[in-house]
Amino acid sequence: MAIRVEHVMGMPVVVELRDEAADDEALFDSVFGWLRCVDATFSTYKADSEISRIGRGELTMEEASDEVRYVLARCEELRAETGGYFDARVPSGVDPSGLVKGWAVDRAAAILDAAGRTAYAINAGGDIRFRGGSWRIGIQHPLEPQAVARIIEADDLAVATSGAYERGSHVRDPHTGQPPSGILSVTITGPDLGTADAYATAAFAMGATRATHWTARLRGYEALTILADGRVLATPGFP
Amino acid sequence: MKKAITAMLGTIAIALPVAPALAAAKKTIVSIKKVTGPQAVADRWGYVAVTLVVKKTTTIVGTHKKVTRKITNVTVPVYPNHTDRSVFINQQALPWLTQEVLQAQFNPNINMISGATATSYAFEQSLQAALLAAKKA
Repeated sequence: MAIRVEHVMGMPVVVELRDEAADDEALFDSVFGWLRCVDATFSTYKADSEISRIGRGELTMEEASDEVRYVLARCEELRAETGGYFDARVPSGVDPSGLVKGWAVDRAAAILDAAGRTAYAINAGGDIRFRGGSWRIGIQHPLEPQAVARIIEADDLAVATSGAYERGSHVRDPHTGQPPSGILSVTITGPDLGTADAYATAAFAMGATRATHWTARLRGYEALTILADGRVLATPGFP
Repeated sequence: MKKAITAMLGTIAIALPVAPALAAAKKTIVSIKKVTGPQAVADRWGYVAVTLVVKKTTTIVGTHKKVTRKITNVTVPVYPNHTDRSVFINQQALPWLTQEVLQAQFNPNINMISGATATSYAFEQSLQAALLAAKKA
């Protein structure tokens, strides 16, 4: 087993390779190099990022990189899919952070796949993509920092969680501007971490009632919703 | 909510091409037809299509002909699902969510933790950090 942790994209990112090989360090370098490149391109905190320049009107969509165009187009698809609860549009332009983290990890996983690695996990601030062998992934307990609420067992999956127990209630219902009510966290599992992350953000912003109805209808993705009244609701296929 | 459902069903009924589908009457005793309407815009709620199974019974007595039609099944293969109202209406078809009570496991045997732990400070305080420290030890 080989592990590297770096602080990138504003969060700790853990890459774990189950089978050690001679090129581990080079592979870590290439994964974190990609993530730093994503940060430089997409960060809303960096004045010279493409996203910041688009926000100031200095860069048109036509001039933007393929990656930026793809991510912003995907954000629009996700906005439609989620009834507007995932929305990258902000007063200062656009903030695709809700998709970028998961998407960047999906692409990082592709780097590991291309290097022939078949057993690894990447954890970016609690959003995880893993494959190869049996992985046991805990879902953070929303009220007890040192506990988990549930354990997922799978061998090839993406898992994203959105919740209010961290950083206050930073997720808001884009329709009302209010923090969601009756809900502590939403965990989404599925094949694609970017999509799972966006779904989790959207479902959490919906609040308890709408989130449970909406997640029950997802196709290809499963959901576990923890409500403020202590109920834990899962779709039948949740691992 | 009852009023909302009535309004919705009203829209569905208007969208159906029921009359033309049933107009092709023949002098058979019993016929069963499955009719699917086109995808129609259900006002601002999105697209909807309805499939009906219709049983038609024709009774001929001399020159007197009596026809009865009965809808034996209704399914909705295409439906809107992006508003509370639509979701409420569609709830009949929802798979049940499993339900349990929130529990805390303090010494779990796990590889990683999924959570909204985004800041470095929170990470340092988290079970994830402890787990990582244990792995690196």
